[in-house]
Amino acid sequence: MKAFFTLVFIVLSSSSFATEQAEQLFNQLKPSLYQIKLIDKASGEKSSIGSGFQISKDGIIATNYHVISSYALHPKKYRIEYLNSEGETGLLALQSVDVINDLALVKRKMDSISSDDIAFFQLSKSTPHKGEKLFSLGNPHDLGMIVVPGTYNGLKKESFNQRIHFTGSINSGMSGGPVVNKQAEVVGINVATSGNSIGFLVPHDKLESLYQAFLQAVPESIEQQMAAQLTANQNKLMNEILNSPWQAKSLGKHGTIPIIDVPFIRCWGDSNADKADALILTAVANCSLDENTYLSSRFFTGSMEIEFRYMQAKDIGANKFYHLYQQQIAHAGAGNRAGKDNVTQYQCHHDLVMPSNQTINNKSIFCTRAYKKFPDLFDVLYLSASIDKNKQALVSHFTIAGVDQKNALAFTRKFMEAVSWN
Amino acid sequence: MELIKEELVTEEVPVRELVIEEISRNHKLLHRHKLNKPSINIGRDYHNDIILADPHVCPSHISIDFIDEQWQITDNQTVNGTFVDNFKEKKHEANQHIVRDGDVISLGKSQLRLLFSDHAVEPTLAFSPFESFINLMRHPVALFISIAFFTLIAGSIFYFNKPIEVNFSQLFVPAIGMTLGFALWPAGVALVSHLSKQDARLMAQLGVSFALFNLMWFSDVLETIVTFNSSSDNILSIFVTFTSVILAFTLFWLNSYIGFHMSRKRRIVVSASITLLLFGGSYLIQYSKKPDFNPRPNYNATIMMPSFLITNSSSVDEFINNSSKLFDKTKKEALSE
Repeated sequence: MKAFFTLVFIVLSSSSFATEQAEQLFNQLKPSLYQIKLIDKASGEKSSIGSGFQISKDGIIATNYHVISSYALHPKKYRIEYLNSEGETGLLALQSVDVINDLALVKRKMDSISSDDIAFFQLSKSTPHKGEKLFSLGNPHDLGMIVVPGTYNGLKKESFNQRIHFTGSINSGMSGGPVVNKQAEVVGINVATSGNSIGFLVPHDKLESLYQAFLQAVPESIEQQMAAQLTANQNKLMNEILNSPWQAKSLGKHGTIPIIDVPFIRCWGDSNADKADALILTAVANCSLDENTYLSSRFFTGSMEIEFRYMQAKDIGANKFYHLYQQQIAHAGAGNRAGKDNVTQYQCHHDLVMPSNQTINNKSIFCTRAYKKFPDLFDVLYLSASIDKNKQALVSHFTIAGVDQKNALAFTRKFMEAVSWN
Repeated sequence: MELIKEELVTEEVPVRELVIEEISRNHKLLHRHKLNKPSINIGRDYHNDIILADPHVCPSHISIDFIDEQWQITDNQTVNGTFVDNFKEKKHEANQHIVRDGDVISLGKSQLRLLFSDHAVEPTLAFSPFESFINLMRHPVALFISIAFFTLIAGSIFYFNKPIEVNFSQLFVPAIGMTLGFALWPAGVALVSHLSKQDARLMAQLGVSFALFNLMWFSDVLETIVTFNSSSDNILSIFVTFTSVILAFTLFWLNSYIGFHMSRKRRIVVSASITLLLFGGSYLIQYSKKPDFNPRPNYNATIMMPSFLITNSSSVDEFINNSSKLFDKTKKEALSE
């Protein structure tokens, strides 16, 4: 089934063999590595930890957005602190974020005396080659800074937003730590793991462009910056989807469904053809975008799911078939996790709709909810059930998270016209 | 002929006839006596014209005498006394009281109402048009048919909603169970009317209730057809929902009409209250169970087989156009918080 990624929250046993090379690298880089802690102001205790690394002389530290996400959304509740290799702690100020690539820049106050001494990481000028040995640095589970050797395995194939496939164990708490090559240049940032030594990194050029943009202009409000990034990303994604070829494919005996021909949308299928006692033969195809955007631990966006279901009555009458069919479509839910603080409740519209090709008659339902912090972004849900055949049915359904009105409606229109009987 | 005869009688007899009603504490009639003699004795012993079994009443408690064209009460120095106990009037001693039409007197723990024979009675109550309906429905054949129809529908609903194959007995048991469950209501009403010393009329209650239950199934189907054929902007579905309220009110009205004697106004108030309790109560339960925030959309997915489709479908353009209004609505909601 679907590959399942968690944001570096899974524990793995790490075989910490340190080659001489790794040891040398580690000692050289240690002073500019930090543990990033989010402290809950009211309780005075840390609520989340991650890693970070300094990338400039004046104290800019790069980390993951998801390490400091609570602060970005609730700046009054938390403060960000660092802990360096010497055991010193201090305050950090959030400067800029890239929610799409899960990056953040925080700034450490530098004393004029010590500023000369502190080394900082250089970002690599080139991308690594496949099989190149890399070293991931970070502080897993608050156990202290470690170095993990691993291999560069190219970019993850099916992703819309690029991620490096790194073979090496990345663990919880290493998020935001750098991954360097033998020359000690940063080529990626730890971001996620899929278990069994499959790790994912944000390519260094994303950090480079975030840093360059930051040098040009410091963002006025983190929230506005996030809104702009989310809007731009969904525009890019929806443009690519709407302008890609949609191939008509048959589902079951008589259904025709669209398959969007882009690498980052992957499809899976299932049916109950093996169950002899089933009253209804069901074939399901579902396609989804294999990634989403982390906004907070209870709020994800940027996901997309499409599902088609072909049903055919076996030994039952039309009336019973439609009763069971209705039960199948009565409980569609959102495709992304979001809470009361993030979104409004869904509002729905339903009607009987016949597309212009006149080949199918549907009961169609369209629901949407708005984002409270990011105006003009919505989650949408569409569900359509054919009502023109006595013993056959075709259900088409999709959810898109974090999309604007224009793109949502353009997609819905194209989708509605693409589903039919053949 | 009879009218003339009655006039003759009144002229000949100088005594005004007195009607004495024994009534219960909540003014329900227990016995009625019509007396035509100048002196009436009331008490516990067997010489009296009206014998009361109440132990708080003296053996010869009072006498009511016709003096100077008037009835006068005389209390025979009783232990517990006699009182005029009219509604809306202060209670006072009844000794030497001149009787007026409709007076209520209390002796011991008993009450008597005194009426003259020319006391105006309520106008005749015509049979309600429902009477013939009730008579039809309580007929054993009609009753059997409506209960069988109810069971059949209950069984078919179980059948339609079971996602697995089922045999006859698997449907029969829940269907009969549901029928028995629904029969509890008319049986309960009949029991209450029996306990309150009125006619139970079980057959009539059963017949009318099941006829109304069947009408409710029918209105359910009607409602489903309307919601299936209409878009979410259609207000017709609200009217259809209203029919189930009307049907419930009719059921309770008929139940009380069959089971209890009460004034027209009171019957309407009682059935309206039960209806309100039923619908208001179920709404309240739903409302209290409603979560503060629902991450799932709440939509109407009513679908029926193609033969129930009676309206034309909209075009994709119309659907998109109507759906686009939701964005402004939710955005307004998001910004208002």
